[in-house]
Amino acid sequence: MARNPLKDSLAVVGVGSTPYGRDLKRTELSLALEAAIGAIEDAGIDRQEIDGVCGTGMDPLAMGGSGFLTLQGALGIEKTTWQKNGWLGSCFVYAAEAVFSGLCDTVLVVQAYTRGPGMSRSAANDPFRLRAAQQRMAGQVLTGQSDFARRWIHSGEPYAAWMARYMHDYKATKDAFARIAVNNRTHATRNPRAAMRTPITMEDYHASRVIWEPMQMLDMDVPVDCAEALIITTAERAMDLRHKPVYIHAMSLGGSRVGEYYDNSLGWTDNSLWISLAGLWERSDVTIDDLDLFFPYDGYTIDTVGCIEAAGFCKPGEAGDLLASSWDAEANILRLGGHTLLTTNGGGLSQGRAGGFNFYTEAVRQLRGAEGERQVPDARTALVCPGSSFFHDPASVMLRTD
Amino acid sequence: MTGVTDADVFAAFPAVLIDRDNIEHYRGLLQQRLLINRCSSCGYWVYPHRPLCPECWSWDIVPTEVRGEGFVFLCTLIHQERDPDAMLPEPVPAAAVELVEQSGLRYLAPIVNCPREAIRLDMPVRLTWVDRGGLASPAFEPAGPIQSGR
Ligand SMILES: [Zn+2]
Repeated sequence: MARNPLKDSLAVVGVGSTPYGRDLKRTELSLALEAAIGAIEDAGIDRQEIDGVCGTGMDPLAMGGSGFLTLQGALGIEKTTWQKNGWLGSCFVYAAEAVFSGLCDTVLVVQAYTRGPGMSRSAANDPFRLRAAQQRMAGQVLTGQSDFARRWIHSGEPYAAWMARYMHDYKATKDAFARIAVNNRTHATRNPRAAMRTPITMEDYHASRVIWEPMQMLDMDVPVDCAEALIITTAERAMDLRHKPVYIHAMSLGGSRVGEYYDNSLGWTDNSLWISLAGLWERSDVTIDDLDLFFPYDGYTIDTVGCIEAAGFCKPGEAGDLLASSWDAEANILRLGGHTLLTTNGGGLSQGRAGGFNFYTEAVRQLRGAEGERQVPDARTALVCPGSSFFHDPASVMLRTD
Repeated sequence: MTGVTDADVFAAFPAVLIDRDNIEHYRGLLQQRLLINRCSSCGYWVYPHRPLCPECWSWDIVPTEVRGEGFVFLCTLIHQERDPDAMLPEPVPAAAVELVEQSGLRYLAPIVNCPREAIRLDMPVRLTWVDRGGLASPAFEPAGPIQSGR
């Protein structure tokens, strides 16, 4: 076992989410503020109790948008002793670290995602999206798309190439990917926040448009306008608050030698996901057999296959067989090992693209046990792997309740 | 590297972040030579271009021409660009070619002179040069006979 002094000493006590939509005609900041207020009200705390803020952005000092520089003042929070921006699933880990280390006691994490102009033709014709993207680009280093050799720096295309490599090396078919897409969509049909709620079949998956061969449209998350927020504080403080506390049991990030040039990838089982999940299991008393809920990243379905294998549900290359034997044909969903449910909100593929941050809020809601018709009976443990890129800052977080 | 000044390199690649660690690579491209940084102490090829050998921590890094031989390790057929206004007339095969010089040393380039349906992972390829926006740009073509069918 690795050291895990923070075990069960922190809790998520508030969650907030906006609607998810293809075009909500609102700024990123507006969405972020709605989610933040939702989380603060859900926690039942005074906003002045918040003394740490994690905003949205890859840049620690990103201006505009929904970075902490903007959020704190916009929410009227007078004083904070810790601030940072983050993205994907790793921002949650950074915020929890800050509470555990005593840099703050109650931290607000806000993540807003909007559809960029490069994500669809209608988004490309929206002058507001164009201007927002231009302002963002102005602060960024040139990645040099004109040089073909640099086009896989922080690109999605190598995930498609890895999908081909995976199918080639393990003689896998696309049915594994199809089952993930259908599972997530089936769950989304019951989620009122989800952007994509029309049921799909395996045939719909196979017939969807090819984008980066062999990757198809239904292998990819759905770009939307949305925001999510949550509040982390000490387990001690959580006891006095209104909801059943959801404890942070163990966490791990994962870094490898690959860096930002994804053509430089290591082997399938050497990428960051495997490092992150190994780090998680070395710190967790909850085992894979105890898992009620699993939220493997689904930016692309190949991420999900990677998370399932890296978590140890099966051996490398065997996800196809596992998902076939875990398929509940009546319900059109997956039950890993006959028990563990996957991505009960529809995830990025069907609720919408939130960098995986909607996994945290969904896991918290399910573990509280008050989701009505959507409630998974007796859910007590959730393994969350949001924003788990093959190449950088994947997060693995074990949440539990009593 | 006669004839190609730093200013020429900056002018030829206006959208690329050229720095002191990679400028020789881009100067090489303008002379149709594929140069990769190499450690003079231990021989390790350092790519992406960085100033320190990650194996032996030597700073003695020399941009060195590769043989231009390798095999297709990763490949995707790009049917659609990120920019929806830049629709592709036909899919572009983007391949991470593993070069023979070192395991895991890969260079990203298009595959050319090969029907798309004949591209195979692990297929041997060799370096060639194609026109890209008026500049000769590295690409790879099959090094052996092309297989037909899928
Ligand atoms: Zn060396």
